Amino acid sequence: MKIMSRKVAITCRNLLIGILAPLALTLMDWPMREALKPSNILLVYLLGVFFLALRLGLLVSFVASITSAAAFAFFFAPPIFSFAIADQENLIGLTVMLIVGAITSQQAEDVITQSRLANQRERRASALYHLSKELAAAPLENEIIEIGVRHIHAEFGSRSTILLPDRNSRLTYPANPPSAISLRGTNLATANSVFQQAQSGSSPGNNPLQATAFYLPLIGSTGPIGLLLLEQHVPPRILPPEQRQLLDTFVNQIVHTLERARLAEQAREATLKIQAETLRNSLLSSISHDLRTPLATIIGAASTLDTDHDRLSSGARQNLVQAISEEAYRMSDLTTKILQMARLEAGEVVLNRQWYEPEEIVGSALRRLETKLKNRPVNIRMTDSQSLINVDAVLLQQVMVNLLDNADKYSPGGQPIDISVDITPANIIFSIADRGPGIPIEMQQKIFEKFFQIHAESAQSGAGLGLSICRAIVEAHQGEIWVNNRDEGGAVMQVRLPLLEPPPAIDPED
Amino acid sequence: MPTTQPVLLLIEDDPQFRLLLTTTLENQDFTVLPLTKGQEGLAAIRSRPPDLLILDLGLPDLDGQDLIRGLRTWSDLPIIVLSARNQEIDITQALDNGADDYLTKPFNAGELVSRIKALLRRVSKSADSDPDVFQTGELKIELAKRRVTVAEREIHLTPIEFSLLSLLVLNAGFVVTHRQLLVKVWGATHTEHHHYLRVYMGQLRHKLEADPTRPRYLLTETGVGYRLNPAGS
Repeated sequence: MKIMSRKVAITCRNLLIGILAPLALTLMDWPMREALKPSNILLVYLLGVFFLALRLGLLVSFVASITSAAAFAFFFAPPIFSFAIADQENLIGLTVMLIVGAITSQQAEDVITQSRLANQRERRASALYHLSKELAAAPLENEIIEIGVRHIHAEFGSRSTILLPDRNSRLTYPANPPSAISLRGTNLATANSVFQQAQSGSSPGNNPLQATAFYLPLIGSTGPIGLLLLEQHVPPRILPPEQRQLLDTFVNQIVHTLERARLAEQAREATLKIQAETLRNSLLSSISHDLRTPLATIIGAASTLDTDHDRLSSGARQNLVQAISEEAYRMSDLTTKILQMARLEAGEVVLNRQWYEPEEIVGSALRRLETKLKNRPVNIRMTDSQSLINVDAVLLQQVMVNLLDNADKYSPGGQPIDISVDITPANIIFSIADRGPGIPIEMQQKIFEKFFQIHAESAQSGAGLGLSICRAIVEAHQGEIWVNNRDEGGAVMQVRLPLLEPPPAIDPED
Repeated sequence: MPTTQPVLLLIEDDPQFRLLLTTTLENQDFTVLPLTKGQEGLAAIRSRPPDLLILDLGLPDLDGQDLIRGLRTWSDLPIIVLSARNQEIDITQALDNGADDYLTKPFNAGELVSRIKALLRRVSKSADSDPDVFQTGELKIELAKRRVTVAEREIHLTPIEFSLLSLLVLNAGFVVTHRQLLVKVWGATHTEHHHYLRVYMGQLRHKLEADPTRPRYLLTETGVGYRLNPAGS
């Protein structure tokens, strides 16, 4: 209502100017009526009409030329103070003025319309440019929706929201929290029914005009991909054609960007899937090799014992039983490692940090390997062995066991293993040094990767999981693990754990 | 004398493993009653209590932890639990619920036999009286006199160190959980004060062990508790 009355007021004002401007010119010309010829006065009127046409349009200039003609006839063309015109020359002049006025007014009106259209086109182009520029930089659906909603609000003054379907093709509310310019309180059921209609191919013209919102399906290259809900102004009005066109262009931009984002996401998922597949294949081949080898021994030995029991010497029987036992332990160790790696990778492992003395952790790891290390000297050097560290002792003990086990596996019998523990104000560093062949520099990173083995399929080989388990555990403690070669030969595995907080106080005994 | 053979109730759902344990244990002159389900086991214990229960924690019909807790409300039957999941938290819970000892699968059958024998010995011993003197290797502990010697040399222990050590002596050969030690030595309000336990165990090791980094007597069961090794030679 307000808009309408404002328009009427402007038109009335302009028409008034169309009447008053020639009268003002009349007043100006009146004192000079003796000096100027009537034809010159006509030219002044013509100039006024022309200006009004340029500024205020056809209707005003038309009113002005009529007023000018009347004023000229009344005040300047003899007989004065009468609308009659005696002089034929003046009559012709007045007629020419009216015709010229009409033509120039028409021309001026065209110029105005052209420039207004040009302005509008430029504004639309710039709005579209800004929209596409922002959309081009948005990789995520949520960002795209946010940008779309913001630009629609800036351009059309309407709040809006964009709903996208979930995996079951049901529209859901956007994930990001609604902002001031997003439309809230949407009825999902209505939205879904519109969306389903669009999916089933009903004509897009049948959008229900809801009391509060305008539902616009987003049609992608393969069908509807979502729904735009646009707030209706009060009272409801249909957008003028050029606005509607601009809205459609906006929507197309948004749809294309959403589709692009979706394709990029699908490509990324496909890559991840391939990576997971590759990893699983290498896991399977590694596991099947490492599990089948001991199984072959176990099954073979057991079947020999079964069928040839009486023909075997007691020594041979003893050997077979021994082989079964050893290989079964090897399998047991391997399955434990595989399970542990899987648990660590799945993020299932929550550190159970408690305060421990490093001495106790090293000691219990050595105890677990007691049988293996029976004939190997182990030297231990610790500074401040009784200070407390806050760790998951079960996991850290596993790290020590794996490192000691490797040191034992890869160094010649009888050569010592050197363990040292150094505590600085900020860190604790465990070092386990052997006198084996050391690790070639180019492999010093790789050995911590899953399934990596320096000498694959050698007699000592495990599954290549021990060190990757160590790394996962150490990193869960926010520490790091690395390897160096000793000058005198052999490798030193080092684990650094940060000391994050001072140990709690102990009340002294009374 | 078949009638005096100890009767072992075995609750284990895997048929092969049940057969293996039954064969091994019968071969060691035990009478074995093998069962598959927890409910059957409870019924058997009520009708005719065995000398010892070997319980697999992963039963199909009821939670092994619940079974132990329920059983402990009315029975002192010695329990050894078997766990297939190498999860310290399950074991600790079973021990805190009242199980006496545990083994994680896979284990050496001989190890099970020696645990059973040790447990049966402890039960028959405690029926007589608590052992006053404990000796292993060079370590000798006289509980009544509160006297501890290593290679004849007397060691001074603080009251807390001594009460920790005597708890382990009373359960020599068996694991005592962190919680059990904390409750009995420091009181029920200190069950989360694990660092006290570490510090005092460390002190005990430095006083009693020849090499505290490679203890022979005071063994750590990481994540579970401590065990005094009766064969610490």
